Amino acid sequence: MKDRPGIHVIPFAIIVAAALLSPAARAQGDPSELKGIDSGDYNVHQSIEFGYRSSNINGNLNTYDTFENLGSGLRLFDYTLNMRSIDHNGFLFDNLSFSNFGYGGDPNNVTRLRVEKNKWYDFRLLFRRDKNFWDYNLYANPLNPAALNPVGSTTTGCIVSPPSVLTATPPGVPGLPAYCSSPAVPQNNSLHALDLVRRMQDYDLTLMPLSKIQFRLGYSRNRDQGPGSFTTDGGTISDFNEAYSYTTNAYRAGVDFKVLPRTTISYDQFLSYFKQDNVVSDNPAASPGNFGFVLANTSGLGTPNNTPVDLGNIWSTQTHAEALPCAAPIATGTTNTANPTCNGFLSYSQVGRPRNFMPTERLRFQSNYFKNFEMSGSFGYSSSDNVIPDFLETVNGYTARTGERGSTTGGPANAKRVSVNANWSGAYAVTDKLRILDEFRYDNWRIPGMWALDETNIFGTGYAGLAGLQQSEAVFNTANCPAPYSAVTCPQHAATSAADEINGLASTFLGQNLKSNTLELQYDFNRRVSAHIGYLYTNRTIAQFSDTNDSELIYFPGGTGSARGNCATGTVTAVDCTLNADGSMTYTAPAAASPVRSLTTINENALLLGAVVRPIDALRITGDLEFGYSDNSYTRIDPRQVQSYKVHANYKPRPWAILDGAVEIHENRDNVTTVNNLEHDRSYSFGALLMANQRLSVDFGYNYWDVYTQSEICFNYSVTYAYPNPAPPPPTLTGIAFTSPPGVATTACPIPGASVGAPPTATPPGTGLGALSTYSSTDHFAHAAVMWKPMKRVTAMVGYGGSFVRGNTIYLNPLTPSGSLDFNYQRPYASLAIELYRNLTYKMSWNYYGFSQTGNTNPFGLAGIQSPDFNGSNATFSFLYAF
Amino acid sequence: MPSSTVTRVSVLLIAFGVLSSLGIAQPQEKAATASKPVPPVQEKSLPGKTDTTPSDYAGAEACKTCHADIYNGWEKSPHWKQTYKEGGLAKHGCEDCHGPAASHAADPSDTSKLFLFEKASAKEIDNRCLSCHAGGTQHMNAINSEHARNEVSCVSCHSPHHGKESDFLLVKSQPELCYSCHLAQKAQFDMPFHHRVNEGLIQCSDCHNPHGTVKPKQVRTSSTQDAICFKCHTDKQGPFVFEHAPVKVDGCQSCHLTHGGPNPHMLKLSNVNLLCLQCHTTSSFSSAPGAPSFHNQASLFQSCVLCHSQIHGSNFDATLFK
Repeated sequence: MKDRPGIHVIPFAIIVAAALLSPAARAQGDPSELKGIDSGDYNVHQSIEFGYRSSNINGNLNTYDTFENLGSGLRLFDYTLNMRSIDHNGFLFDNLSFSNFGYGGDPNNVTRLRVEKNKWYDFRLLFRRDKNFWDYNLYANPLNPAALNPVGSTTTGCIVSPPSVLTATPPGVPGLPAYCSSPAVPQNNSLHALDLVRRMQDYDLTLMPLSKIQFRLGYSRNRDQGPGSFTTDGGTISDFNEAYSYTTNAYRAGVDFKVLPRTTISYDQFLSYFKQDNVVSDNPAASPGNFGFVLANTSGLGTPNNTPVDLGNIWSTQTHAEALPCAAPIATGTTNTANPTCNGFLSYSQVGRPRNFMPTERLRFQSNYFKNFEMSGSFGYSSSDNVIPDFLETVNGYTARTGERGSTTGGPANAKRVSVNANWSGAYAVTDKLRILDEFRYDNWRIPGMWALDETNIFGTGYAGLAGLQQSEAVFNTANCPAPYSAVTCPQHAATSAADEINGLASTFLGQNLKSNTLELQYDFNRRVSAHIGYLYTNRTIAQFSDTNDSELIYFPGGTGSARGNCATGTVTAVDCTLNADGSMTYTAPAAASPVRSLTTINENALLLGAVVRPIDALRITGDLEFGYSDNSYTRIDPRQVQSYKVHANYKPRPWAILDGAVEIHENRDNVTTVNNLEHDRSYSFGALLMANQRLSVDFGYNYWDVYTQSEICFNYSVTYAYPNPAPPPPTLTGIAFTSPPGVATTACPIPGASVGAPPTATPPGTGLGALSTYSSTDHFAHAAVMWKPMKRVTAMVGYGGSFVRGNTIYLNPLTPSGSLDFNYQRPYASLAIELYRNLTYKMSWNYYGFSQTGNTNPFGLAGIQSPDFNGSNATFSFLYAF
Repeated sequence: MPSSTVTRVSVLLIAFGVLSSLGIAQPQEKAATASKPVPPVQEKSLPGKTDTTPSDYAGAEACKTCHADIYNGWEKSPHWKQTYKEGGLAKHGCEDCHGPAASHAADPSDTSKLFLFEKASAKEIDNRCLSCHAGGTQHMNAINSEHARNEVSCVSCHSPHHGKESDFLLVKSQPELCYSCHLAQKAQFDMPFHHRVNEGLIQCSDCHNPHGTVKPKQVRTSSTQDAICFKCHTDKQGPFVFEHAPVKVDGCQSCHLTHGGPNPHMLKLSNVNLLCLQCHTTSSFSSAPGAPSFHNQASLFQSCVLCHSQIHGSNFDATLFK
């Protein structure tokens, strides 16, 4: 846990008092009216704000850094430089603008530079560096269960039910399912935590910006790197270290022709190169924190004694389904000796280097050449070629459910994206009041992919007295495993063991062809009322297939031998399996039928309505409505029916008062049988800006945001109290099966047309449950700010912003905290700026951050996770010098 | 470079040459028009005032005598570049936008021939500004502008004389300028999980083109004609051998709130599993495979992304494990 120094109250008070009482506080002028200085041919404005931030945050600093990440230290809060040629004829440039903020340790640093010489060039530079620290610990958290009942409970051992339920008769029924772990290991960090730094650079140069032919050149670079975490399916799940490294270099060149009056034709060429050099690793050197256990093996054979073991991050040792890392992870009488039959890792690595080359060409035009008719359009062609020649994943560990001791996976992969798009828009003014607008859009892309898989599954040796991780990885060759393949150094297969080598070919395709046209009439009834009505038609076809051929499987002998799987007796013909000289068997898959391409065609029709009304000069009301219907949907949450209502009113009753109100309502429905998807997103907003005079202004607003989603889902859920708990187990507890999550109304699944894990016609059919998944969230957001200049050289501000979120959803796993469903996030602030001398201002500000989750933050049975809550304040002290 | 790209570049270079030739031919027209009086503004932008003559114009220096403050502000602004056009300051000063002012100079109460922005409709203002700005890289699709459709004119956001921002002469800096109408979005960006707009790292105009695009909500596209999200989130762009199809077909907003929200990673639901199961429930109306039978939600499968960590797409695993 990080710690931040506090604000020292007494020195702070002295500084404030000194500043307020200083005679210098009665000087100066308004910085916004600074004239700058004339230096040579240029008028120069410059400002710099430099100071110190003191951060004093309590609670979960990882959450704070995820949200804010403003720490203590010296900072360059702002620096600007503006130079303007007085006679518009500077030597190298006529105007220069340079601004910066955030340097010195803040998470967001931005530099903007613009240099231009009016007729000749316009150069812009944008540099952005952002630190992306992310560790909200309720995301990607395995929710490990607790070990013991809470204090006050009459039982010990695994948790069966809340104490209140335990008193019921029969005890434990109904109650929460049995979760427990020995030991209990709460997971206080997200397994997908990140600490990345991204640097984005954009350079754009326009040559001869005022001429009929102007040229544009540009370059962008995006570099993202830093440590993060990676999880993947294995015997268990561990947070492997991932060293992120992404780089994109993008070049662009373009030219604009103004060959006809009021007509521009542009051509652009883009060349982008993306490369990824991420490395995932898990070993005692790279991830010492993961390897808290050692393997005991004094036999001198197999895996060496005291080899460090990573038992992963899921600790649910006595769960009914699959205990992880195993039922008894730690050897009796020890604190860090791993059970060798546990799921675990001795090492892991994954390396792949995707290289993606993405050229794009684009031709655009815009014309007002014809009277009363304007049009614009573009045509573009883009292709991406993503090549990954050398992917390699190496796993050294033990997976209990498959008996595998490791694996390697590699092979070249290649994916392409080809995109063609075009659009045309035209608007014809029939009269001064009536306008017809038509817009057509064509967007066609396809992504074919291929991966040549080369996978090796590694099994353990068969040394007597050793098990699981203690057995070293067996290497199959004639020296280690000679006929009759019964040596202990042979790989030890079970009858159900997978093939030792898999050479496959995966071929995939995804594409979409979209055509859309919008026809709209716009009419001005008078200067106060105008309206538009339109019709949108969109047709899109989505095509996809995925075909994976395990074209060749090789089964090594050892253990139960090579005649297993596809080469087990009676399962394949002799033509498909070949016995090799080394005792292995090769299964060659028969030629697969051509994959059937799945096609989804969607026709969308929508009515568009809108109006702008100005009943009085000071009031403007705009409204936009959309009513859409689609005859199909691609996903279950794609709407077939869309309704959208947007109304915004802007009222300026006085020159010093601006009032705004807005209503936005979006209703989406895919309410066909078995889906029943309903969504709404509704917001109601109000804002006001009152500027009584230059010395006092008030800004406040409120927003209510209401989100709701529902859909039918199917899932598997079963809990059986097979474990004898509590001891002695009451007869009514042993063997009780809970078939639905507490508090969730379920139906049998398959619901009509749906199933879990197997199609409805399968034998046996799917055995899951069906339920209506619901999620609702409401947010009350309020903000206010008051600016007051009690005297000419003093500016004070106080403000507040707060979000109050409340929500509800179903819980499939009762160990899930309510988390982001219920919280308050409040951020009041205050600042004071005092002009000490001419051009010099002293500034102080105070920002408070209070994040607190409410609701069920610590569900019964969950190994207590550190609360994400935090609160505290930042104080900044700075000097602003400007001229 | 792939041969197909070479071919494409060659074709487009030829097109470039043809267009260049057209551009070279243009000076003849320019020479032909040089001797004619240069109309200060496009005809289209002066409805009903096409019969102007050079004598109707007073020149910027005349305006300065009464409107010195405005003149001085304009003189320091990017609009001063107009004076580099033929005719210089005399013909491309204040009257470039405000119309002929000779009669106003003679009689200050006579504003009949002036274009007064505060009295003009949004469409008239837009036409006036676009007479010069149309066709620029940012205004190519002004015809599709939702702002224009709702009569939010250029001067709603830009102030040629009193811009607070030297860049683009905005009346306020972003995002406060946008928040003044888009009130709900202000609340979304104040959520704990949000894009860093309030922090100044990115701006509304990085993702939206306020002057119009061909996409809904005036969203920009990346240079590769893909979602603008991939400009920053380069690792999610692919193409991948195994795509998570909705990412490309429906867009990032299938699962994420694009501005900000209460849930981690701006997800639309608080629970990842429920988000996945919304689609991954086998039914007659879904192309997504259902969750397999061993995914017992009561036990080890608390978060789908623990195993399916490459949720945006993978090159090596159809189940998006790695």
